[in-house]
Amino acid sequence: MSTAIREGALLYPIIGGIHLLAIALFGGMVLASDVRMLGWGLRNESVTDLIEQFRGWKWLGGLVVAITGLLLAWCEPIKLYHSPSFWVKMILFALVGVHAVFFRRSVYRNTEAIDRAPGMPPVAKLAAALSLLLWVGIVLSGRLIAFDS
Amino acid sequence: MTIQRFLEWLAASPVANAMNGPEWAFPVVESLHFIGFAFLIGTIAIVDLRLLGLTLRRQPSRQLQADLAPWTLAGVAIMLTTGPMMFSADAVRYYVNPSFRIKMMCLATALVYNFTVDQCVGSGAHDRVRVKLCLSFRSASGFRKPT
Repeated sequence: MSTAIREGALLYPIIGGIHLLAIALFGGMVLASDVRMLGWGLRNESVTDLIEQFRGWKWLGGLVVAITGLLLAWCEPIKLYHSPSFWVKMILFALVGVHAVFFRRSVYRNTEAIDRAPGMPPVAKLAAALSLLLWVGIVLSGRLIAFDS
Repeated sequence: MTIQRFLEWLAASPVANAMNGPEWAFPVVESLHFIGFAFLIGTIAIVDLRLLGLTLRRQPSRQLQADLAPWTLAGVAIMLTTGPMMFSADAVRYYVNPSFRIKMMCLATALVYNFTVDQCVGSGAHDRVRVKLCLSFRSASGFRKPT
């Protein structure tokens, strides 16, 4: 299958295209939630609505990104194994998981209290800022894989 | 100025030189392009999902669109800056690439559609299809910095 994806003229770009579309769906919702919690916009929407309503879509998008990403990585395992940027990207992914668990109780399952609070609680701002940084880091390290080889 | 001369001028411009200079330049600009992409397509996708009744049904779609509009525009600005920068890195090769041309036509259609029809009507379902078309061709052009 690795050779099929790597050498098929259309397979790689098609999987890459699906990967990107899922990133747009997933990334757009992450951005919207982060922007809201940083107080930069979307003030007419409640944090609860954004977090709760996007949850299913984020899972769907994230799942598609992960599956297509795995397929793409499958094409060039040796190159990626030797690429520092690839490992940075994987570590950042692991940190996204840590982030989700860490802020689960205080932010992502606590949105109604956040909406009732007079101002945006610092912990929500922190969660949003870290989320933005992690995702920017993931995009950057992903693109820098090409720079490694 | 003919297209050929314009492409040659672009390929010799300071931006093109910078893009082809340090090896990290292209990936960094490409990353910005991706982030702009998430802003632009992501916020449009949210509005379209809303119009389809698939998310945020408590918000009026018009208001959601208005609230997301600055971020959509930021995405457009980032993409229309970083895109031509990447184009300049290898202008002639992009220009003759059929997938690139299809991508540009789809992009123009999608932008015009999004900022005209989709802004006035309550049903933007078709927009999704068009943006998707545009994107699949984008990836089909499968371009990387020549090494």
